[in-house]
Amino acid sequence: MNPPPPLAMKFFTTLLAVTLVATAVAQPSYTGPVPTPPTDTRADTLRRAYLTRVNEALDTTLAAVKPNVPLSREQLLAKLVRHQDAAQVSQRVLELLREPQSGDMFWMFPWTAVAYLGRDQLTPEARAAIRSSWRTYFPLRGDTENHWAMYYSSLYLMSELYPDEAGNTWFNGKSSAENLAESRGYLLHWMDLATTIGQGEFNPTHYIGEYAIPMLYLASWAKDPAMRQRGHMMLDWLMADLAANTLNGVLRGPNARTDDTSVIERWNALASFFSWTMFGNTPSPANYGGWGIYFALAAENYELPEVIRRIAVDRDSDYVQRDLKRSRRRWRYSDVEMAPVCKTNYLRRDYAVGSYQGGLADPIQTHVWDVTWAVPDPRGVHNTMFSAHPLSSARVMQTYFTELPDAMIDGLASQGKPSYDVPDKILGSSPYEKVFQDLDTVIALYDIPEGTRFPHINGFFSKDLVNVTVDQSGWIFAQGGHAYLAYRPLAGYEWQHLLGYKQLPAQGGGYRWERVDHGEKGDKLLYSPHRQNGTIVQAASASEFKSFADFQAAINALPLTFQLAPTPSVKMTTLRGKRVEFTYGQTPVVDGVAVDYSKWKLFEGPHLNADKGSRRLTITHGQLERVLDFNTLTITDRVLP
Amino acid sequence: MNPPSRSLALLVLLALPLLPACATTPAHDLYLFGAVNSKGRVSGSRDTSLNGVYRRTDTGAFEHIGISYPAMLNGSFDPRDPRVFYVASLSGVLCTTDGGQSWRVGTSWDVTEPKCVRVDPTAPDTVYAALPDGVIVSPDRGRTWERRETGLPARGKYAQVITVDRTRAGRVLAGCETGIYLTEDSARSWHSVLPTKDTVNDLQQSPHDPQLWIAVTQSVGAQLSHDGGLTWQKIPGVPSAHALYNIAFDPASPQRLALASWTYGLLTSEDAGATWTERNTGLPVPHRVWRTAIDPDTGRLHAAIIDEALFISDDFGRTWKNGGMPASRIQSFAFVPKAAK
Repeated sequence: MNPPPPLAMKFFTTLLAVTLVATAVAQPSYTGPVPTPPTDTRADTLRRAYLTRVNEALDTTLAAVKPNVPLSREQLLAKLVRHQDAAQVSQRVLELLREPQSGDMFWMFPWTAVAYLGRDQLTPEARAAIRSSWRTYFPLRGDTENHWAMYYSSLYLMSELYPDEAGNTWFNGKSSAENLAESRGYLLHWMDLATTIGQGEFNPTHYIGEYAIPMLYLASWAKDPAMRQRGHMMLDWLMADLAANTLNGVLRGPNARTDDTSVIERWNALASFFSWTMFGNTPSPANYGGWGIYFALAAENYELPEVIRRIAVDRDSDYVQRDLKRSRRRWRYSDVEMAPVCKTNYLRRDYAVGSYQGGLADPIQTHVWDVTWAVPDPRGVHNTMFSAHPLSSARVMQTYFTELPDAMIDGLASQGKPSYDVPDKILGSSPYEKVFQDLDTVIALYDIPEGTRFPHINGFFSKDLVNVTVDQSGWIFAQGGHAYLAYRPLAGYEWQHLLGYKQLPAQGGGYRWERVDHGEKGDKLLYSPHRQNGTIVQAASASEFKSFADFQAAINALPLTFQLAPTPSVKMTTLRGKRVEFTYGQTPVVDGVAVDYSKWKLFEGPHLNADKGSRRLTITHGQLERVLDFNTLTITDRVLP
Repeated sequence: MNPPSRSLALLVLLALPLLPACATTPAHDLYLFGAVNSKGRVSGSRDTSLNGVYRRTDTGAFEHIGISYPAMLNGSFDPRDPRVFYVASLSGVLCTTDGGQSWRVGTSWDVTEPKCVRVDPTAPDTVYAALPDGVIVSPDRGRTWERRETGLPARGKYAQVITVDRTRAGRVLAGCETGIYLTEDSARSWHSVLPTKDTVNDLQQSPHDPQLWIAVTQSVGAQLSHDGGLTWQKIPGVPSAHALYNIAFDPASPQRLALASWTYGLLTSEDAGATWTERNTGLPVPHRVWRTAIDPDTGRLHAAIIDEALFISDDFGRTWKNGGMPASRIQSFAFVPKAAK
């Protein structure tokens, strides 16, 4: 699908803006009730609702403009979108660019947006200052795929905007043509990886913005129709992946990258901004997740395919979605450059269970598995249960980062990763954790070598669980929303308070973190100081049982044997009647059949399907089908008979 | 690319009279590659410090040159013209032909985070770079680059350092995650000369004896070769439980060597490596020495303490004084002959 014709869209947006001014939103919707998906699903109604949400983000940004206070970069962008006060905006552009610049690729994409949105509005002096800044400010290219997505999308678009210019007019000494070719080379390479062996920074709670925003900009402004199409198709791809892995708009299951907040308050993430914008089924995070405004400013150029929207909001049955992703690039100390990540997500009305097979994906911020439950309002709710090994390892950091060993761990606490080297962390993956999931049963086994820093596992028990019952059988039962949960620690444990983190301003700028003990009213940590260890979690809907006691009885009746030495191993029959045998480091066996991870498809489920290496994703819901084919750069929509 | 206007105003970071009182005009320029205010910096940080290349002025102060770029690791100069030099940076290999006033990223998207760049001193059109995933070579002063990795392992070729034998064009040693590799045909083929299980962090050829090489490593201490890098022996007396970061020879004295380490601080030898002494008294605690260097003109010992400052010693580490560059992370030193200008 191509973006709507610009003129028609401009007229429509202007009309909508006028309407919105007349019904000015006093408060942003994220302070209001939880939105519900519309019942009127005609295309024009849905489009209008989407643009209303987008315009709310812009309106809120503009409403924060104060007389005699300089415009922020976000505010001047919102004014450019609305074609307001071009002289004031031009003056502010000049002021901002007179200062020393910083922010690297996070500088590049906002200024790309200013350049494009302002190309017909800004004064010649302001446009010249923007152009000059791409000569005088030398942004870092970064070391991560999201960095490169932002860097090269921005450089691509700016090179198209200023073609035929010599190398001495660009920060990196390369001509427009050279920059265009290099940027295109990287973007095609990344798209090829993502559409053949899976996305690297998969299902990120925040970093989804670092991909979706650049792809939207390419879809909006790339002059080359092939790159414009690629941007659009990748955005569809990302949104389809988001839709299929959400429940009520909240991203579920494993994430290559999340953070200490989002790993327990699952809604509180930029991903929820995209669910709010695209699907309208969960509140946006406060301030539109920080980066949401950068999507909103060009969001009118994207139209969410109805098939993707329906995957997010129209769930008439439970489903399992299996996806193939990949780890971050491993520079050293690994036999493979990028390890395959075999994801499973089981989504039901009342809860979701998700995992990948364990091991390292990203060195710091990976979340491997969890059970999350549905709640009427996700704000402030810690609706998740899982366990993890709190790995802290300079060698692992060196595997993924090209640094000398000692400074990395020391520096992480001041680099926005405060929990990396603390014993009660619950964020992160470990090479000593192996996981198997079948539907709503998860078995996580741990075999932590002697001498490992933090030789224990942490289980997360939310403040929002009710009826937490430590049973003499060894199971711990609890209820989260309409889900019954059973957690079986395989080794001894004790309860601890889970410390959290508070971000504070640091002397000399930036920020620092302070650990905070939430005390008895907060979340709890199941601390198990045994190197050979394991966790079994079984979930079910409350509606499947007459009572909580019946659920407990059913769990206690499950055949279960396990051992921890010499190698952790579990044999059990799940609540769904599957006979599972899982030994640490060995292939899981279900009903006598070994799980074959080598046959894992790029996507496999009722809604998303793609073969490994295919570059072709089929998106399905009911009779609706969209096929994204990167081999032919085509989008094909069908209504199935 | 032109430098930002703000860098036209040189940032003079040292007010102290840092050149030894007895010194005449030094024969070498000292360049530093690094950054200030690095603690907590990640890609995307809001920080407008001046970073990248600094050069010592005749007063002993350091001036910032050219672009501000906080992720430069080391540089290598064309012996025919020191205005031509190459820098290993996060964004690729940076090349300048006018003393750092303008730059070009010589590599493309497929090269990231080179760790070390070196000009072949006897064939200076040829430039080598150690990468996290191998080795690249430019035959044309950094304009074009090609991978030359035959003989390096498919996995295990993370290269931290690359050093060219100054006596023979095309003879190069690379310090990798799996040991030291040697090429004698300009990187067209490599073979292992010292296997290790962790990364080799630095490799240097003695300025006094071209057959003598020293390597420092993450887990097998310091290694010595007397035959041009063909065979290696561990240097007794140098600890090996923790990583060593770099080695410095004193070009004026074959007896004097220095080693930098996060854990051990500054280690020196004044008997050609037979015995070693920690020289940390007077350095900040903890004495995390990121890099060390010895001035070829004065014998002054330099210790870059990570995120603290540059420290200098005129008695080979027995006493230290603050040499400026506060809150800096100096990644490398380069002494470049002035006579070559």
